[in-house]
This record gives sequence, structure tokens and C-alpha cells, in this order.
Amino acid sequence: MPQELLERNTAALRKIGTLQYFLYLASLLAVLCAALPLAYLLNRATSSDADSISTVLLRAKSINVLVTTLTLTAVVTLGAVLVGVVLAWILNHVSIRNMTAWRAATVIPIAIPSYVFTYCWMTLNPGLRGFWAATLVLILSTAPFVTLATLAALRRVDWSQYEVAQTLGLNPLKTFFKITVPQIRNQVAAGALLVALYVLSDFGAVALLGVDTFTRAISNLYRGSFDRSTAAVLSLLLVAISAVIISLESRVRSDSEARRASTKIVAEIKPFHSAKLRLVSYLFLATYVSLSLALPLMLLMSRFISNQVELDFAGLTSATFNTVSAAAIGAVIAVSIALPVGVLLQQGSRLAKLADASVLVVHSLPGIVMGLALVALGSQVGWLYQTLGLLAFSYALLFMAKGVGSVRTALAKVPTNLLEISTTLGQNKVQTIRRVAIPLAAPGILSGTLLIFLAAMKELPATLMLRPTGFETLATEIWNYTSISRFSEAAPYALTLVLVAAIPTFLINRPDRSENARESS
Amino acid sequence: MTSLEIRDLGVVFSGKEILSGLNLNVSSGSYAAILGPSGCGKTTLLRSIAGLITPASGTIRFGKQLVSVSSLVLPPHKRNIGYVPQEGGLFPHLTVGDNVGFALSRDLDKEEKSSIVDEMLKLVGLEGFNSRRPHQLSGGQQTRVALARALAMKPAMVLLDEPFAALDQTLRTEISEEVVALLKATKTTTIMVTHDREDALVSADLIALMRSGQVVQSGAPTQVYSAPISAEVAQSTGDIVTLPAYMSADQRIYSPLHSSSSNFDPNGELLIRPEEIHISAVSQPAGKNQVKAAISKINYYGHDALIELKLEGWELPLRARVTGNIDFRLGQAVYAELQGPLRWVPRKATHQ
Repeated sequence: MPQELLERNTAALRKIGTLQYFLYLASLLAVLCAALPLAYLLNRATSSDADSISTVLLRAKSINVLVTTLTLTAVVTLGAVLVGVVLAWILNHVSIRNMTAWRAATVIPIAIPSYVFTYCWMTLNPGLRGFWAATLVLILSTAPFVTLATLAALRRVDWSQYEVAQTLGLNPLKTFFKITVPQIRNQVAAGALLVALYVLSDFGAVALLGVDTFTRAISNLYRGSFDRSTAAVLSLLLVAISAVIISLESRVRSDSEARRASTKIVAEIKPFHSAKLRLVSYLFLATYVSLSLALPLMLLMSRFISNQVELDFAGLTSATFNTVSAAAIGAVIAVSIALPVGVLLQQGSRLAKLADASVLVVHSLPGIVMGLALVALGSQVGWLYQTLGLLAFSYALLFMAKGVGSVRTALAKVPTNLLEISTTLGQNKVQTIRRVAIPLAAPGILSGTLLIFLAAMKELPATLMLRPTGFETLATEIWNYTSISRFSEAAPYALTLVLVAAIPTFLINRPDRSENARESS
Repeated sequence: MTSLEIRDLGVVFSGKEILSGLNLNVSSGSYAAILGPSGCGKTTLLRSIAGLITPASGTIRFGKQLVSVSSLVLPPHKRNIGYVPQEGGLFPHLTVGDNVGFALSRDLDKEEKSSIVDEMLKLVGLEGFNSRRPHQLSGGQQTRVALARALAMKPAMVLLDEPFAALDQTLRTEISEEVVALLKATKTTTIMVTHDREDALVSADLIALMRSGQVVQSGAPTQVYSAPISAEVAQSTGDIVTLPAYMSADQRIYSPLHSSSSNFDPNGELLIRPEEIHISAVSQPAGKNQVKAAISKINYYGHDALIELKLEGWELPLRARVTGNIDFRLGQAVYAELQGPLRWVPRKATHQ
């Protein structure tokens, strides 16, 4: 009898094994993909001799660039966390009229590419330049990353805990720090990481405002084109910085990943009605929305209206179509790889952690570096060069980290008891993942896909280098016109890009249905 | 339908023994209740039966089939058991109908599937609820849908984890009666875990009492209630009073309730249910074992009352359950008499 049991068991184990095998394979693929640009950089960097590398690194200018980059990243991340958490708290806890509209308005700024955003602010105030200008612009445009992450986390904090804390004598502020912060810490940290990596890799704002960060230094070196090895060395330094930031974030992340064991009812939030608090909240919301959304949009509109040149509708349509299709293909590739990595990450696998870390490192690479790495790959594999596929692949590589993160948090939200019930109902592991885990995590996975799609639509440097000949996207058209100072002609493209990008942003922010239903009680 | 046989089951979590040397037999088609306080390991036992955890030792058999031999286990999806966890655990992304049809084979065509789903929903009294969503249901309805989902796969056994704990008292009686009747009518082997003694006594054919990782006594409800093996076990099925007692070599009992025995050296205890103590204001000539007592407290419950007594000459509390007209007052002198079996247990057993 035990013999028979043993045989049944190994058969079952073997089946689970196939799934595991597939997950490992996909994670390995993610690591390899992420290794591609890094390998390119290493290859480039080592082709110069050690002396010239140390000269590059020890030049006073390099030290300056390092300090500027680190300070900018730290200040912007801190600012974005403050603004983002306050926004999310207001949106979640204060009784506000037209809540849905405010929610959308506070998140839509991530639909505006930083070069468009900066360019708007510069038209408003041509004297705007330097470190603090970049800080302001970047805080305004990255705060929604934190807002989005925090909103999702706040929604899941059981309101009865606030009430209990207050009966235990904690004032609202203490309640926030003792009850709320520990429960939203992981998500805030994840949002802050996205902000930090965004700042590290951002090109538009720093280039236009003349701040010497790594991204700007690297692209200047590439433009100068005679010194690619130095640029590669600087890129690797950037990679090292982001690796440090990523490991910092994983330390802040608490070990006890809050995984809900069951589907208990979470007490509904009872928003604050205090008049003073509401007034301050409205002021804060209004200030943020006007600075980061209303102002740039109005500027683009006025430019659009004052534009004398006749609008090239065909060009606009094809650019929109190209933007959407390249970004969509990229998002689908990224999520197909991110999904298995996320599933494996949920099991605490080391390979998945490595995959997660490597896609995050790649996420911090400036688009120009990715562009060059893939151009180098394309020159080796001729049929890949200047294809839509390679462009989409570069998007997938650059933004896969967003997908892995979303899949991980979405899966963590699936209550373990539902997975167990599925197995007792005769479903094996594969069936359980397909029929229970994925559908329940779907809203989160979809948000992740949309985030990638959004980022890909805004991407400029890699797109400029990798697009097929004659393939214009909205981003490249904006660049083409602004680089020859025809701002008004760029306006329709910029407006279209913001509008198209606002759609996924709006969808991401839509309070998802399962959350509204509070799952089943 | 299948029987269940558990031998010497041991479960260890991070170095701590949750279950050890647990034995349990449930015959095919019967309804068993695992009764015990929280933390005694009853949910762990249920999860071991379901295959959701891997035991460290022991065997579990479904009928003749071995499903668990020490750490060698048949995975849950091959066990054909219907597991109804606390709060039902319905899939929030599926409608009621899809929840019920979740385990049905993909080989069945649509019509067959929907007819089984309809039949199951009818069985649990939720006909026409197919397209509703779990969050639109009340707690009791969710439990019933979860049961329908478990029954739809024609399980060999149904496992219920505190199925009625989330319901309020009135709903609870109603729903537990319905569910129990349903499971008994379909002759489904059922294992229910509960900490509520009334739930267990009312519904089960077999009660297994659990204490710190073991089944300490099992049997028919009347048996475990009337013949407990220790005071602690007796407590889990109802109110109990213990009095020091002496059992002589010829099995004669001496206790404070025996008027003739004023001096004895207790070697055990007498386990008494309060309803077995009869009190009256006047002495009854026929009662040999009548002793004098004074009323020290009256807990009035409406349908009955618990009256605390102090036995004359003993500083020992005794409780009597009185039904009907309760016309006693505090401090009143009464006569108490034991009208029930003499359950003597040796001293040691009470300190288990």
C-alpha cells in the first residue's frame, strides 16, 4: 500500500516539477535579458585600459557629477515621498467632494513625459535652470508613483485598527505613525524606489535644465562619440548606485510580508469631516494639481491654439498608432516574463530574487545606454536591427521591473486559504494558479502592464536610436520639433501623447472592483 | 463515502509538537465532531486530513486507501475531500454558480455542469442564486454555497472548519440544523471541527474530544457526556462539579454527598452534572443520601437556574440545576441529593 502511495505521489510531484521548471526557465530568461545591456557595458568599459578608467573616475568633474546625481536622487525621492504620501492620505481619509476626479488628477501627471513637462515650465519661466528647478520639476512629476503605491496600501488597512488605537489614547498623528506607517511601509518603499530609479535614468528634465547628472554626462560623452568606453564606465557606476539603492529598499521592506491569510471583512473607512482639515486638504490638492497638471496642459493648449502651421493629421495619426503599438508589444513582452518571475518570487526563490534585482538595475539605466547596447546587439544580429521587435524589446527590458513589482504585490494579496481550497477541490498547482491566483491578481497585473505601457509611450532616447527608419512616434516627433525650436508645432504631438497616456493612467488609478467589493466577507 | 482511520498522527511546526499520537476512527457515512478549546490542534488535524499539511508521523486512511504515511502524503487535489473552511472561503472573482461548479470536470459539457450546479444550489436552499457574487451573500448563505461547492464534486468526505462560528445565535441554530440534516440525508462522512459544545452535541453521531494535540475521548454524544473519563474532559461537554471521594476496595463510594460517610481519605473525585443534584426545601424520608446544604448563590437563566450550595460540614461548593418554578432564596437551608450515576475517577486522571 505505501508503495502505491509513493508512486501516486511522485507522479504528482513530477507534475508540480514541470511548472517549477518553467518558472525557473522564465526567471533565468529575465536574468539573461537584464544581463544583455550590462554585458555590453562591461565589454565596452574593459576595452579601455585601467589607467584611463581611473582618470575618468577621479576627475573632479566626475566627482561633481556623482555628488549632484546622489543629492538630486535623494532630495527628489524624499520630496516625492512626502508629497505622495500626503496626497494619498488625503484622498483616502478626508471627506472630499468629487473624489474620483481628484484621484485621477493627482495621478495623471505621470502621463506627461519629463521633457514635455520641463519644456512647459521653461516656456513659462525661461530663466528656470539648475539643480533646484530640476528638483521641483522631478518631485512634481514623480510624486504620483508614491501616491499610487500608497493609495493601494491604505485601502487595505483595517479601519477598526484606527478606532482601537484612538480608544487606546493615541492621537491621530501618533496613530498614523504607529498604525498606518508600519502597514504601508513596503508599498511606500516600492514607490520611492521607482522614483529614485526614475531620477537616475531621467534625461529630459536634467538635459533641458542643465543639471550635470550621470545621464546627462553619459549622453554628452556618447554624443561626442569618440569616448564610448568612458561613457560605459560611468554607466556601470550608475548601475552600482542603483544596485545600492535597490538593496536599501529591500532592507526597508519588512520581512513579514503582510500576506492575508483569509478573506476577513475589513472595516470601512470613515473619512474625517473636520472643516479645517478639509480646507487644508483642498489647498494641498489644488496646489499640486495646478502645478503638475493644469499649468502644463494650459500651456500646451495655448501653444496648440496659437500654432500657425497647418496640422499634419496623417503624421499625427501614424505617430499615435506607432507609439501605441510599439509600447503595447513591449508591455506584453515585459509582462509575459514578469509573470513567472513574480510567481516564483512569491515562493521566495533565490533565482527569482536575482531576476528581480537585475531587472531593477536595468530599470535605472538611461534609455540611451539601453539604446546603444541593443544597437550593438542589432549590429551582430542583422535581421534584428532597426525592427519594431527590437524597439519593443528595449521597452520590455527598460520597464520590466514595474511589471515584476506589480505581479509580486498582486499575488501577495491573494489569500492563501483560497489557494488551499482550490487544491482540496481537486485542482493541481498549475490549475490553481491559472484559475484562482491569476484571476484574483488580475487587476494588479493589469495595472503593472499599463504602467509599462505608459512608460514605454513616453520613452525617448532608446526610441530615437532603435526605431526602424521612418518610424516616427509621438515622442520622436516632439523631439524633432523642439530640437529645432518649433515648439508650437510640437504642441499637438505633446498634447496627443499626454491624452493617450492619460488613458492607462486613469485605468490604473480606477479603484478596482475587487477592492470595492472588499473581496468576499 | 468512506471511513476515516487515523493512527498515531504527529504534526510538528517549527520544533513544536502540535499533534502527537493522535488516534481517530470515523465510520463511513457518520457525522463526527472534533470538539476542543482553541489551540488544541483541531484545525491542524482537519488540515492534515485534507492534505494541506504534511504530518511528521502516523498514518491516515480513507477506507482502505492509505493517504498519509508519516511524511509521505497524497496531495490535497487527489484526495477527493470537500473542505469548507471558516467563513466559507468563496472565490470572490467567481459567481455563486461558478463557485459551485469549480471542481467539476472539464470533460462535462455545459448543460451537465449547470444541471449539477442547479441541483446543488437547490440542495442547500439557494435555488436561482447562480449569477450572484459572493459579496452579495450573507454569512449563512456563503457557508451554504461553500458546502454546495464541496458537495458538487461528490466528495468521499466533507471537512467543516467551525462552519457556524461566524453566524449569530438565531441564524446559527437554523443553518446548522439545515446543514446537518443535509449532510446526514446524503450520508456524507463529515468531520466538523468546533469549539462549541452545543454544535457538537446536537449534530454529531460521534464526538472526539481534543486536548493538547490528542483525542482524549471519543464516542457517541450521550456516551461522552454521561461517561467522561476525567473532570477536564467532562467540562468540554457541559457543566461539571467535582467532589473529593473515596472508593473502597469493594467499589463502595464515600463522598460529601453520602450522608453516612463523614470521615474518609479521598483517593479520587466524583464527577457530577449539576442537573443530577436535586434539591428540596423539605427532607424526603426515602432519600438515603440526602445531605443538608445552604444556598450561597443563584444564577438565573430563565429556562433554568444554577444554584450554588454549601454542603453542611464541608467547605465545598456544589451546583444544582433547577428547572421549572424556581422558588428558592439566598441563604435558604435545603436538602441535596445525587440522583445519577456515581462517576468516580482516580485523582491522577483529573490532573492530566
